[in-house]
Amino acid sequence: MKKFTEQLEETRKKITNQLDETRKKINSYSFDAHWYRRVCHAFGACFLFYYMLPDVDWINIIKFWVPLFIFVFAVILEILRLKGVIHSEYFFGLRMYEKKRVGSYLFFGLAVIILVYFFPQQIAIPCILCGCLADPIMGEVRYRFGKNYVYVFGFLVCMIFFMVSWYTADLWVLFLVSIVGASGAVLGEVRKFWWLDDDFMIQIVPAVLLLILLFVLTNIGVSISFKNIIYPGDMPW
Amino acid sequence: MVKKNIDNDKSLEYLEKERFYDEKIVRTELLAAPLLVFIPLIIGFLLVYDWYVRDFLENSLNLFGELILGFIISIGNILFDIPFIKSLKKFKKEQKNF
Repeated sequence: MKKFTEQLEETRKKITNQLDETRKKINSYSFDAHWYRRVCHAFGACFLFYYMLPDVDWINIIKFWVPLFIFVFAVILEILRLKGVIHSEYFFGLRMYEKKRVGSYLFFGLAVIILVYFFPQQIAIPCILCGCLADPIMGEVRYRFGKNYVYVFGFLVCMIFFMVSWYTADLWVLFLVSIVGASGAVLGEVRKFWWLDDDFMIQIVPAVLLLILLFVLTNIGVSISFKNIIYPGDMPW
Repeated sequence: MVKKNIDNDKSLEYLEKERFYDEKIVRTELLAAPLLVFIPLIIGFLLVYDWYVRDFLENSLNLFGELILGFIISIGNILFDIPFIKSLKKFKKEQKNF
């Protein structure tokens, strides 16, 4: 009887090992979620097309309702996922901590909507770029070189985005805005909360900081000239 | 159990597939891949083109920001597209050999 139990145990171990090996093989045969997620992030820069759309009545209506409709659709999908109606597996590229929490793509969308609806272009564009490009770049730097390099590298990348967007401003305004904006973006990325995603923070924190800065400067009598970066296109007909 | 400390490396891992045959699950992602790669490049090109037509040909400097943004969007996307396409190729190769 004892021999039989030992044999049974040995067979069980063999089967477990074989199952583990098969599982490893299957896992190696899978689509790379890491780069997929990075590319999705960078794809977000396409939302800047919003500013290129012609300034015509019916297009303005589309510009207002379509982003809102897409966002509401994403909210419904997310509710269904969290309730278990749609399996999380179908949301490819989700991280472990997003399994029982709202997905970061929804936070990203919310931040973009807030920026394009309520903030001027000069603030919205660099903040969206920070969320789309600086965030995955900072993620890669963290992944490859460690946390310490993230702050410096992220700050420089974000600063470039702010400088490009404010290149028509006076030199001191250009530097002040770039430093405040880049600091806000790095702060938004580095400070992590379980309930609030960094995709939201990296866009909204610099935007709010810049809005406060502009409010203070205007109140102390400093005039800052605003100039659009992207101009609406003309209707082809 | 989902860990609440998201600084934890394990929580940054991606959700594992629980099903064995995952081709159907990533089918939408595979179909979306060309869009993810080409749309940002088209937007980048449109910004550069807009600068060329409305700014460069008319000798003004109003849309210089569009030119730089066009380059930032294009280069930023290409940086991530290359490893993504490589991983896609690897996936297709593994799919054939499986």
